Amino acid sequence: MKKQCYFSQHNIKHIDYKDTEILRRFINPHGRLISRRRSGISAKYQRELATAVKRARFMGLLPYVAK
Amino acid sequence: MDKTDREDRIEVYEIGYLIAGVPEERVSAEADALKGVATSEGAVIIAEEAPRRERLAYTIRKKAFSGAYDKHDFAYFGWVKLEAASDKIEGIKKRVEALPSVLRMLLISTVRENTYLGKRAPAAPGGAVPARSASPEGDKAKEGGEAPAKPAAPASVEDMDKSIDEMVKEV
Repeated sequence: MKKQCYFSQHNIKHIDYKDTEILRRFINPHGRLISRRRSGISAKYQRELATAVKRARFMGLLPYVAK
Repeated sequence: MDKTDREDRIEVYEIGYLIAGVPEERVSAEADALKGVATSEGAVIIAEEAPRRERLAYTIRKKAFSGAYDKHDFAYFGWVKLEAASDKIEGIKKRVEALPSVLRMLLISTVRENTYLGKRAPAAPGGAVPARSASPEGDKAKEGGEAPAKPAAPASVEDMDKSIDEMVKEV
């Protein structure tokens, strides 16, 4: 069965860097972004997600590296 | 010609900031000072969230006046969404960065609509941050079946029309 894009499914138009609860779903225990092959996110939202995660890291809301 | 077109364009921006090294009672005053910087440059505040205490994901250092580095593991994170002319925004950024209490700031171009619904369990003012999900979610759990953290998508237009019709009938 084909995986659905989380953001399309939940009608999320813009990914906010402050929304760390959502961003944390898409980073692994090392703090790295999960590939879209595994998460099933569309390319458009993967790009937005990457930007949001980088912004959150800069602001100290998410780690650059963990463990 | 292109340059003049760009100069007077009004855009929506968001400034996220971390305030550290000030006592809790002065944090709101510092946030007001930051907003004052923006409004003095002709920006209009659209939305904002008051700074709340956050545990930082990593220690942030900032050079103090003495030359030594201050280390911060906690900071007050707040944001303000504003509408400003694109030629003024660079000035606003420089002035906000220069504020001594601002540990870090991020200026982004955004949209007028609300993109952040806020934390589900808001932190008590000045209190401890609610515990975040300890494990940054292994992908296995997600792949098995996503437990949606967000509220369900808004009702469709048809559903809304139906409910409105019912309400009108009752009246």
